[in-house]
Amino acid sequence: MKRYPAYDPIEYQDWSPDPEVMRSYRGLVAESEGIQRSLERLGPAGLERLQRGLLRNRLHDIALKRWVRTGVITKAWLGCGEEAATVGAVHALADGDVVGPMIRNAAATFERGVPLEESFRAYLATGDSVTKGRDLHFGDLAHGVVAPISHVGDLVPVLAGFALAFQLRGESNVAITWTGEGATRTGTVHEGLSLAAARRAPLIVVVQDNSVALGTVRSDRFRSALEGMAGGYGVPGIECDGNHVLDVHRAVREARELCVAGEGPVVVLARTFRLGGHATHDEAEARRLFDAELFAEWGKRDPIGCFEEFLKEEPHRIGGGAEEKLARWEEEVIAEVEAAAERSLASRQTAPPDPEAMLGDVFAGGSGS
Amino acid sequence: MPTDTAPAAEEISYVDAIHHALGDAMRADESVMLMGQDIAGHGGAFKITRGYLEEFGASRVRNTPIAESGTIGIASGAALLGLRPVIEMQFADFITCGFNQTVNVAAKMFFRTGHPVPLVIRFPAGGGVGAGAFHSQNNESWFTQVPGLKVVAPAFAGDAYRLLRAAIADPNPVMYFEHKFLYRREKAVVDRGAPTPTRIEGGSQVLREGEDVTIVSYGWMTHRALEAAERLAEEGISAEVIDLPVLVPLGMDGILESVRRTSRAIVVHEATITSGFGAELAARIAEEAMDSLDAPIRRICYPDSPPPFHKGLEARRIPSVEGIVEGARALAAW
Repeated sequence: MKRYPAYDPIEYQDWSPDPEVMRSYRGLVAESEGIQRSLERLGPAGLERLQRGLLRNRLHDIALKRWVRTGVITKAWLGCGEEAATVGAVHALADGDVVGPMIRNAAATFERGVPLEESFRAYLATGDSVTKGRDLHFGDLAHGVVAPISHVGDLVPVLAGFALAFQLRGESNVAITWTGEGATRTGTVHEGLSLAAARRAPLIVVVQDNSVALGTVRSDRFRSALEGMAGGYGVPGIECDGNHVLDVHRAVREARELCVAGEGPVVVLARTFRLGGHATHDEAEARRLFDAELFAEWGKRDPIGCFEEFLKEEPHRIGGGAEEKLARWEEEVIAEVEAAAERSLASRQTAPPDPEAMLGDVFAGGSGS
Repeated sequence: MPTDTAPAAEEISYVDAIHHALGDAMRADESVMLMGQDIAGHGGAFKITRGYLEEFGASRVRNTPIAESGTIGIASGAALLGLRPVIEMQFADFITCGFNQTVNVAAKMFFRTGHPVPLVIRFPAGGGVGAGAFHSQNNESWFTQVPGLKVVAPAFAGDAYRLLRAAIADPNPVMYFEHKFLYRREKAVVDRGAPTPTRIEGGSQVLREGEDVTIVSYGWMTHRALEAAERLAEEGISAEVIDLPVLVPLGMDGILESVRRTSRAIVVHEATITSGFGAELAARIAEEAMDSLDAPIRRICYPDSPPPFHKGLEARRIPSVEGIVEGARALAAW
């Protein structure tokens, strides 16, 4: 993809495929029967959707970064470097499944059909946004998206509740949520998983291990502990390369199949790295605090660069003409993101939040507020 | 004994009113389900859900682990998809372990996203039973301060029945405070066949008319207020007793109308005094009826200390009939 020196992390600015990394990327595809099945399932159209989703995610984040830089907004929580863990996962779902993203998984909203501008409008707090300017965390159940909450980990039992409802109604849908490795230590995640495990609820918890939390690197001991996490609940655990969009797709597809077969919940452990700050304000601080080696190593594994390179190496996967197709898809996604950003900026002018309405809707049913 | 149709009006206890409200709601609406610790088979700490596992099956009467946060979260998720879960906190005191899910997830969901969370949490609350610091609290004001939660605290078996049916039908999270002391002591004739409201609405009820002083209370303390009014009448002081079964949304009209007539107001509750719900009531009366007052508003509440285990020590802290009588006397003589 086109690189954006003003906004990309330095590792991405002159990104070129690292032979060793690509060898292992291809190797995983060749060795994994699961990925082979994912490739069959996805077909050329599915792979195109994955690529467009990854680009949409990255460009959405860059648009937000641009807004931070130019003073339109003050801060944004981004998924740079972690796109595959979101995009690969949501594209393994079926109609009617419900997702409960973290703010860093913003792509889960638009990859499930919520219009892209809704994410921008949420940041701008416009009156015509889903939350009417009330919250930057947004969701829309019409598209099966539950709004995130700042208390990370707390969506695990909530999504377990959706899973329970699917089970009670005899519907073969699943609920999926993401939690960082840090949030797996909260009591709520433990309680949510325990409840879901006791009921065999069709719930997928993606532990998005991005190696760091704010300014702290997780310890090696904790890294190992995450491997045994699913076993602690007596439920299936599936590990995947969180920067390999096909491997994430494989893991979540398998998790989904287990859930529908009554073997849920499933813990999917996706190893990845936050190639930026906790938010836009502390990117430089993260560079100071964390080992430069971490950035260098994970930088080689850009989930988008690697996937593009894979498609170029195996163009038959998308029916040939990879270079031309990738360029065209990218052009279209760039236009799509720009148009969505412009529409959202226009909303800021035409649809400021209504101060009167801000006091309403405390209760459903209209009474008693 | 399961019944398809509600029996004719009969006298039942407060605890049975709750039991029947749950059962009747489940018979009327298949989306209603119960969750809580040991509520299936065992019937719960107070046997309120007895027989329901057998009648409604394990998918609608669900035991949960000791996981309040997980339980309220799972109920919120199920509620967002259209189920109507009713959670039994084994004791009101244990809500602390599920606080974030209640005040940040369930309470704010509709405001943030427009999606209603029709959820009821039942809180066996209150003292008078010598159960100590973790099984006796009246923690309703922890929730009356959180926009998005409705809060009810019935004093009578009939209200316990009607308000629980209304709470289950209401599209919002409702905190239902049921008083343990009243469980088997309070009885009333309840017509389970009569229509019940489908929303929790604010409002108060005048239980006894009077002219000299207005006593406002809720829950167990409403009963003591009534006893105090009886005693006061013997002394020639005419007390109006107002019960407030719904704390949020707060309907002040009846209270203000009464205070404007009597010119004196006492607020009684069992919860601790500082920042208790009585402070809100007193403030509203002061804001809106100051001109009519002939005496300062008086709050008669639990002192700012945790409930002691010793029953005698506890009894000295809970507002007494005598304490209310003295308060009314002092105001009448102001």
